[in-house]
Amino acid sequence: MSGARAADLLERELPTAVRRRETGFGEVTIWIDRSDLVAVCTLLRDHPDAAYTTPVFVTAVDWPDREPAEPRFDVVYMLRSLQHNDVCRLVVQVGEDDPNVPTLEGVFAGMDWHERECFDLIGITFTGHHDLKRILLPTDWDGHPLRKDYASFGEPIAFTHNLEWALPAQERPRDMPGGSR
Amino acid sequence: MTALPPLGTPTAGLDPLSEQYEAGRELLGIEPDLDAIDLVEIGDSTMELNMGPMHPSTHGVLRLVLNLDGEVVRECRPDIGYLHTGFEKDFERHTYTQCIPYTDRMDYLSPLFNNLGFSLAVEKLLGIEVPLRGQYLRVIMCELCRLASHLLWYGTSALDLGATTAFVYAWRDREKLLDINELVSGVRMHTSFIRVGGLLADVPEPFYEMVGAVIKTFPKLIDDHELLITKNPIWRQRTVGLGRLSPEDAMAYGATGPVLRGSGVPYDLRKAQPYSSYDHFDFDVPVGRTGDVYDRYLVRMQEMRESLKIITQAFENLPDGPVNTTDRRVALPPRNELNTSMESLIHHFKLVTEGMRVPAGQVYQAVESPRGELGFYLVSDGTNRPYRCKVRAPSFSNLSALPHMVRGELIADVVAVIGSIDIVLGDVDR
Amino acid sequence: MGLSNELIVPGAGGRSILLAEADAGTIALPRTGAAERTALQSGFVTTTLGKVIQWGRYSSLWPALFGLACCAIEMMATGAARYDMSRFGCEVFRASPRQSDLMIVAGRVSQKMAPVLRHIYDQMPEPKWVISMGACASSGGMFNNYAIVQGVDKVVPVDVYIPGCPPRPEGLLDAVMKLQKKIAGELPGSLLG
Repeated sequence: MSGARAADLLERELPTAVRRRETGFGEVTIWIDRSDLVAVCTLLRDHPDAAYTTPVFVTAVDWPDREPAEPRFDVVYMLRSLQHNDVCRLVVQVGEDDPNVPTLEGVFAGMDWHERECFDLIGITFTGHHDLKRILLPTDWDGHPLRKDYASFGEPIAFTHNLEWALPAQERPRDMPGGSR
Repeated sequence: MTALPPLGTPTAGLDPLSEQYEAGRELLGIEPDLDAIDLVEIGDSTMELNMGPMHPSTHGVLRLVLNLDGEVVRECRPDIGYLHTGFEKDFERHTYTQCIPYTDRMDYLSPLFNNLGFSLAVEKLLGIEVPLRGQYLRVIMCELCRLASHLLWYGTSALDLGATTAFVYAWRDREKLLDINELVSGVRMHTSFIRVGGLLADVPEPFYEMVGAVIKTFPKLIDDHELLITKNPIWRQRTVGLGRLSPEDAMAYGATGPVLRGSGVPYDLRKAQPYSSYDHFDFDVPVGRTGDVYDRYLVRMQEMRESLKIITQAFENLPDGPVNTTDRRVALPPRNELNTSMESLIHHFKLVTEGMRVPAGQVYQAVESPRGELGFYLVSDGTNRPYRCKVRAPSFSNLSALPHMVRGELIADVVAVIGSIDIVLGDVDR
Repeated sequence: MGLSNELIVPGAGGRSILLAEADAGTIALPRTGAAERTALQSGFVTTTLGKVIQWGRYSSLWPALFGLACCAIEMMATGAARYDMSRFGCEVFRASPRQSDLMIVAGRVSQKMAPVLRHIYDQMPEPKWVISMGACASSGGMFNNYAIVQGVDKVVPVDVYIPGCPPRPEGLLDAVMKLQKKIAGELPGSLLG
């Protein structure tokens, strides 16, 4: 069971940090609070039974309309342990009015760029990051493309039933999704 | 001492034959009778040099802002995003089958691995198993793809350091592998051959002859490639001891693949967490010792030979049978049923137009691409489109270790180090 | 056009300068429609200045390296051993835009890259041509989203478009040949501007 090692260790050493533990499709997912994030990751990195030294990625999933109501963003971390050949998944939930998570730059050097990418595409801010600026999009870009309320299309393809989509950008209706670009 | 100009270095703008110039040189701590050619550093200001995004040696549109002290790199800041394509957003509005051609174009030097990772992730969620012939063919095509990718890496990184013959040799041999791609799928590069539930189709007859020819001729060809540069003193001088990455740093930056193995960490996902029946084959994992450019080069050259070993074993033991799963959630009904059964016809129609429905959940599936750990974190909400598909690109993490590797090296060596990481900007920027 | 062994200087009021004896052997230059007599006794070739310049331009198109994504790999394959592009005059892929006259935009152009593309195009000296290689450069390709410029002709003027994802090397060679025909067909007046 992938990630069970991390979950068991956390339940032994930091039981208050584990808010929820779920198993599915052969993988274990652990929900933690953002205030425990740095402590949990440091433990997972340094404890010899775990040794999750390699950051795999950090990203976020946008759930704008979850039932029952839960915070909007699931910030997902994955860490790999080469020594014990395992990979674990941690999830931190943050709401849209306060999408801040403490940075893990000090724990894993590789988290620097992953956090910048997460900020760039989804808008999660990482407090304590030394230079949180956009990495993939131009620095003057508006909006965070991977949010669900950001339009997917670049150029509308006009058919006979939606000819207004073929209008140039200045003449399109103002409330069409896609922002200033 | 006479007054000196207030701005710039103390000798700026002064006539070299004047007294003030001599006085300025004294201020800088330079002996009075020292020849101009012997001067080394004037002040300690560094120069910012922009390398890219249009540059022959950056292997794509990568921009590096280098802070140089003479020719020594003090700091290197990569600026990426010049090939950002928005793949992850595109995944969210296409069905799972429509996503496969998108995956081809991310790591465009080894497209089959992207297909494989995505297909395995979806198959994990669906809980379906591909028949053994399909798995073996996947292994053969993927290892041929790894060969093609390493050949391209070899040609381009040798070309960067001046070995033009190596470039032509590598591309000549790569064409033979692209011919096999074209045979099985019709396309040289972005084959989309590996689909959810198996493959595009079974391989045609000439496949066996062509793969047999590859198995027979490539060991000698790879030896020829090594003969060109491995023991070449110019190559060794330009690569040995350069761009070192310690194992702890490699792990901390999340580096995987030959970059990690070149530093001495023997971790290969094909051995550690086997997928698609890689555990049926006997092969070794080459590991370097010092983590410099030369070790990574040797690791990749040896990986080419190991790939040939795997292809040989898979080819010789290729079982008969179907290549695609028969699970009706994914597979189209057989053609003869469409003539008699209305349900089959409707099912065929819905599968083709709407696509397969995948149970809700989240999985992470990683494959060992030629660059490292290529992972797909797939979140499904039960519909026919992925809800969120995050691609963990190996080149992104490998490149984040570049500033660490080139600090203190000469600017000409930056080119060699970039070549040794083997980045693909489509992977880095997605 | 037509059979002539006189050099016509454009803009000189139609005065002609005799270049060689009337029965000197002439060699037909490809695609120029010049004299068809092929005897080589005297070793002289007569043609017009415009045609010679056009021939020089299209026979040695030096591409600027502008490989962006997957099409760049096929562009490299076109320059490699099997589909040798230097047969068609594209001998050197120049890294510096100031030394090249053909820009092959090979690959998808992202929003961040578009100003760079225009900058490089502006740095190329006249005369210059642009080939848009592949579906992504021609129209945005399969990426109809926020990140990709929907066609590089929104940024630079394009002479030849190549469809394909990626186009085969033969497709790129065909485009270069079409461009050569286009250059050969240019009016003589354009060589002054």
